[in-house]
Amino acid sequence: MTAAITCANVNKTFRIPLDRSTTLKYRFTHLRSSSRYHDLHALDDISFDVPEGQFLGIIGHNGSGKSTLLKVLSRIYTPDSGSVSVNGNVSPFLELGVGFNPELTARENVYLSGAVIGLTHAELDRRIDGIIGFAELENFADQKLKNYSSGMQVRLAFSVAIQADAQILLMDEVLAVGDARFQEKCFDVFARYKREGRTVVLVTHDVGSVNLYCDRCLLLDHGKLHADGSPSDVTALYRRMMGAVSDAEDKAGGGEPGDRWGTREVEISAVRLLDIDGGTHRVFSSSAPMIVEVDYAVHGQVDDFMCSLRVDRSDGLTLSNPQTLMGRLTMNRQLPGNRGTLRYKVDALPLLAASYTLTATLHDAHGGHTYDHLERAQSFRVIDEKSRPGLLELGGRWDAEERPTGT
Amino acid sequence: MATSVETHLPTDAGAAPSSEPRGGTLRRHANLTRELAISQFKLKYTGSVLGYLWSLFKPLMMFGILYVVFVKLFHIDRGTPNFVIQLLLAIVLFTFFQETTAAAMNSIASNGNMIRKAYFPRSILVVAATLSSLMTFFINLTLIIIIAGALGKLDLGWHSLLAPLFVIELYMLVLGISLLLSSLFVFYRDLGHIWEIFMQLLIYASAVIYPILFVPERFRAWVLGSPVAQIIQDMRRALVSNEGVKPEQQIQWSIHFMGATYFVPFAIVAILLGLGFYVFNRLTPRFAEYL
Repeated sequence: MTAAITCANVNKTFRIPLDRSTTLKYRFTHLRSSSRYHDLHALDDISFDVPEGQFLGIIGHNGSGKSTLLKVLSRIYTPDSGSVSVNGNVSPFLELGVGFNPELTARENVYLSGAVIGLTHAELDRRIDGIIGFAELENFADQKLKNYSSGMQVRLAFSVAIQADAQILLMDEVLAVGDARFQEKCFDVFARYKREGRTVVLVTHDVGSVNLYCDRCLLLDHGKLHADGSPSDVTALYRRMMGAVSDAEDKAGGGEPGDRWGTREVEISAVRLLDIDGGTHRVFSSSAPMIVEVDYAVHGQVDDFMCSLRVDRSDGLTLSNPQTLMGRLTMNRQLPGNRGTLRYKVDALPLLAASYTLTATLHDAHGGHTYDHLERAQSFRVIDEKSRPGLLELGGRWDAEERPTGT
Repeated sequence: MATSVETHLPTDAGAAPSSEPRGGTLRRHANLTRELAISQFKLKYTGSVLGYLWSLFKPLMMFGILYVVFVKLFHIDRGTPNFVIQLLLAIVLFTFFQETTAAAMNSIASNGNMIRKAYFPRSILVVAATLSSLMTFFINLTLIIIIAGALGKLDLGWHSLLAPLFVIELYMLVLGISLLLSSLFVFYRDLGHIWEIFMQLLIYASAVIYPILFVPERFRAWVLGSPVAQIIQDMRRALVSNEGVKPEQQIQWSIHFMGATYFVPFAIVAILLGLGFYVFNRLTPRFAEYL
């Protein structure tokens, strides 16, 4: 198998001037002064090969250098050192709608943007109906682009972009387009690229589509190639990194709990969210295990108490309200000074991607008296690598029964 | 440590899904140039009621003003009967030079979005900007020829075949300057203002609003050393009739005044074109990062 792209020891540094001189006056008055620069090492000794026909995903946090790498591959940027060789013709576009002008009609924009990706007027004449049709804009083809909704513009841009005939396609965040139904169509296009054996390099934030479509995934971190391997391994690593970052951010910013009330005979001393290994996290994968731990301390005379948790989506919709009573667990005859931990274990988190908050309450067995209520004791985020739409994974199983006709 | 920077040109491998023949790259670039030029031409006039007509009105208005001030008030033409057409022709040529270089200067800086997001030879943007002005120029030039013909001031003969050559010379000059200005303008925005002032100066220095005979004899070769003045003078000679003009006021080829120094304007055009390409290519890798 031959390599479609060979990238060897590529370095790219940006000199970010602390004060940029765009006037001649500045240049003349500051002839001698060596301007102050801040060096940003955007790509640090990156090497990899992409075999022909591979679907390669590149992920990384903002500023990790993934878009810079794509620009080096497409010759928009020249590397400072190292070499990039590309075997085959490369689509010259990186993003959707390059060359679009709001003052031109959709049809005119198709010809212009089509020319950017290397299609001639005659080729576009043959394809224009298909392009407008795919974008579902048949009734608006001769309207100016500025009158389009952003969704319509993006659909048109994608329809043009997928016309690129190149064997090697470089794409930067082209997936975050359209509604779920349009995304289905985009995925069909990717499936077609795969069948045709084209080489695709996809830069994205969307871990789900990397897992779905890519054969291989690179993870960049601060300009370095941090990981290179199967999408499932690399995206798992990326999620852990992102989770760690989020934890750090939360600690720094102080995840702020809401109101607290109660008579405090029993007090909540801590609420933790853990994964299966016992590490505390703020980011969980859908369908992965999650454990909630509530530490309590008894201060006064109480006969019994119960715990209830409430999981709300960030917009306030209550999704679940598990209580110890339902779980046949009541804490009886507590003496002052007792301490302990309550654990609520979810084997496979049914929540889909969103942000959630967790509220914890300790109250008596009848639910009439609140000892301690901690509103939004914890917040957490769920990511779903399959990017499934909706709120919950019901966890059902499909089954089909065929009834052949004519027998 | 690898320090070589190589980028292989795309090879048209047999398995390409595209059915394009070899040499398709050039065709695709030509096609992009054309599409850009056409859309810029459309955009220039979109939303205005008179549309393209403005491109005709502007030089005509300028002609009207200059004609009244310099010909009617100051008699700068010294009674030369064909000077009206000489002035009109010179204004169309000079307007093309002025507007094209000004528009092309912006062609890189104002297309940062495309430059940052797609790869194609950057010079396409400059060429497209000059081509869309060239369309306007040809329409205007045709109208001037028709007007001159209607006034009986047109002189079409074998010598007029030189006119296309001078138009090519003018285009080469415009292209060279456009490449130079457009790449430098990315880094030095002052150029926009400097060039505007320079144009004010150049229109008076280029024998646009006066016949070259107005210039003292020993300075004529100096004035015509500027390619703009030389092109205007030779275009006048190629197209405007000398009929009924006193022998000493007749339009002459530039070479008549310049003699052996006739090569100077052509050398300037060649140097500017070469320098334009050189500077443009040197600065190209920095466009995407700077814009």
